[in-house]
Amino acid sequence: MSRSFPVRLAPDVSFDTSYKLTELHIPAEGAATLPSTADGIDAAAYQALDDPQLQAQFSRPAAQADQVESWLVVEGMVCASCAQIVERHLRDMPGVISVEVNAAAGRARLVWDAQRTAVSTLFVAIASLNYRPFPVQHIGDDLQRRDERRRALWRLFVAGFCMMQVMMYAAPAYFAAPGDITPDMDQLLKWASWVLSLPVMLFAATPFFANVWRDVLAHRVGMDLPVALGIAITFCASTAALLQKSGEVYFDSLTMFVFFLLAGRYLETLARSKVAANLEGLSNRLPQSVERFVDYPASCETHGALAHQLRCGDVLRIAVGQAFPGDGVVVEGLSAVDEALLTGEGAPVSKRGGDAVVAGSYNLEAPLIVRLERLGRESRFGEIVALIERAASEKPRLAALADRYAGRFLVGVLVLAALAIVIWSLIDPARALWVAVSVLVVTCPCALSLATPAAVLATSGNLAKRGVLVCHPGALEALADAERVVFDKTGTLTSQQLALKSVQVLRDGVEPDRAVAVAAAMERGSLHPVATALQSAASDKLQADCVREHPGAGVTGILDSHIYRFGSAEFSWPGFSLNEAVGVIGLLADEAGPITLMCFGETLRDDARQAIDELKLQALQVCVLSGDRQETVSEVAAQLGIADARGGQMPESKLAVLAAWQGRGKPVIMVGDGINDGPVLSRADVSIVMGSGAPLSQSGADLVLLSNRLGDVPAAIALARRMQRVIKQNLCWAAAYNAVCVPLAVCGLLPPWLAGLGMASSSLLVVLNALRLTR
Amino acid sequence: MDILFLLIPLSIVLVLILVVIFYWALKEGQFDDLELPGHAILDDDDS
Repeated sequence: MSRSFPVRLAPDVSFDTSYKLTELHIPAEGAATLPSTADGIDAAAYQALDDPQLQAQFSRPAAQADQVESWLVVEGMVCASCAQIVERHLRDMPGVISVEVNAAAGRARLVWDAQRTAVSTLFVAIASLNYRPFPVQHIGDDLQRRDERRRALWRLFVAGFCMMQVMMYAAPAYFAAPGDITPDMDQLLKWASWVLSLPVMLFAATPFFANVWRDVLAHRVGMDLPVALGIAITFCASTAALLQKSGEVYFDSLTMFVFFLLAGRYLETLARSKVAANLEGLSNRLPQSVERFVDYPASCETHGALAHQLRCGDVLRIAVGQAFPGDGVVVEGLSAVDEALLTGEGAPVSKRGGDAVVAGSYNLEAPLIVRLERLGRESRFGEIVALIERAASEKPRLAALADRYAGRFLVGVLVLAALAIVIWSLIDPARALWVAVSVLVVTCPCALSLATPAAVLATSGNLAKRGVLVCHPGALEALADAERVVFDKTGTLTSQQLALKSVQVLRDGVEPDRAVAVAAAMERGSLHPVATALQSAASDKLQADCVREHPGAGVTGILDSHIYRFGSAEFSWPGFSLNEAVGVIGLLADEAGPITLMCFGETLRDDARQAIDELKLQALQVCVLSGDRQETVSEVAAQLGIADARGGQMPESKLAVLAAWQGRGKPVIMVGDGINDGPVLSRADVSIVMGSGAPLSQSGADLVLLSNRLGDVPAAIALARRMQRVIKQNLCWAAAYNAVCVPLAVCGLLPPWLAGLGMASSSLLVVLNALRLTR
Repeated sequence: MDILFLLIPLSIVLVLILVVIFYWALKEGQFDDLELPGHAILDDDDS
């Protein structure tokens, strides 16, 4: 199965070359045009892909013996010329028979000679161009999607060619003066039309009949029923007229209608699959194989390991350009990591020993040694994918409502068509059937049942790009309607970091700045929030000796031949009495007694003020609901310009306040960190949770701000309102269109071909309108 | 005008041939990527 690859870490092998990469600061994207070698890429990581079992997932034997066809996802290709670079580079390699790269789909298809090369060599070749190659997850899915697309196009073309020719045969009958065409010739033209209508009926139009059959089996009235009925009636009645040599034939209308409809459907699927790709891209991210240390830190030997063989606690070496297979902690190394997929944050985040890394993000600059903590479904990545899957299976209320109305609407249309036949057979029996066909064909329920899901999908896709995950699409409607936003304070308006609030001097002649500098020197190297707050507050950099940390209490150290103690009051100077407990305090003392008392408080998030201002501009009422003391809450609220601030709230009282607001009839949005406000969040109409908070799967939130930016709250609301507007536009259009066209058809003023054109363009219009939301 | 009795069946055959040619092109993947080949023309160092 897996072979072993001895890797020495220092000083001469890949760490070394990667440092060069770091110095040059070659970005992951756009660097493709630079000629680069395989220096920073670790071939060993890809060699597990040579494992036949794993390879079978993304490859299959090609037509020739010893040739293999592999499908790859290639990331980082932004334009057609990127695809060309990959294509040309691979084509020149020995053993590569053919290469096809599709930049739009981010896919590559390789046919290679198993005797002359290995698939890992090809992966390394792509990686050396600074693109990120992955094996596709299931070759079947990809082939199936391609075949479906080809079949749809094939149907469209058959319908198109036949339609054009049938038009040619029909044209003389429209233009010739009576008597110009001999009866023989007339029959010939009609029979020719019939022959070319056959492939349209028996092949191109089969999806409509298949859909109707499926609906019938499920005892439903589907969207395709009127269409299929219209096509079938037209064909049968025309054929009967042809055989009896009397009456009108409508083969031209029939083929044209099928062509328009197929064209509309094809464009719709193209447009929708583009949106779906935004969300779907997530699941391909994790690497299939990684390098695992056999016995870290005793030995630096690594083995290639397959992703499913990994266990928590494994120590891995993650090469440049590779994704992390699970959540973990950096043990060794210094690098930058691209977390854009998970947070929407474009800039690389620097990581060093002790920092946490998340599955699915990319290592950009230098190799990292990482200890795995969570894998698979439990990793953050797994949670996000699970949420997306759940969201995809959920139908918003409006869409379900539209579906139900579409069902009734269809029944109405069938009844109307039947009535049209009855009434018209009294007026003009020859036209009765054609009027009914027009009625069946012109009505467009697509706008009802198709446009709303398309709008919701486009909105979710757009938000996902920003780093806002929509877990319950139904909440988007409430988001648009809401008139009140309630914020939790801790962890939401404020960040988890502390800041130095005040310095109280307890001994005469002591400079506050000096005291802060001393405390900062003692705390240097600690990761405690107080230490970080002190580092950013200290103006001078001092050096303390013999620093000892006393966990949970404080630190001692020697500076300028004084022994300083810094920490809680009891630790630094037992017997020191505090006047009042305000937030987090730190007492600095030396041998002689207490020197200064420092108070630490929460810091506001950088973008909190701006986000609140934007929310107010959106005519929303903003309030704060917190379990913290009223003074602290009021202070934070005042800084942000929020008038309604309620502190000291117990979970029960929070629920009561929320219920009172909801009693006014409008939805309430609750923004929290998902840790201590679970019940209130679940009771709110829309709950928004900061991504840095509790485990995502348990929060039950409607929206998750993976980006951790409060500014995304007004952005999401604005987008939800736009979505609402688009849905309303679409419904209005559908209502107006049907209100105008159905009476026209009933009155016999609309020929079947025009009805077909109207329906196809109407459904295309609503889908395109919905797709505006992706921008 | 008798020639039409030959030409019209012939036109049906022509359409069928066209459809078959198109089927072949589709099967060969000619329509899978409509973007990249257009850029390939601009590429002069064709090795």
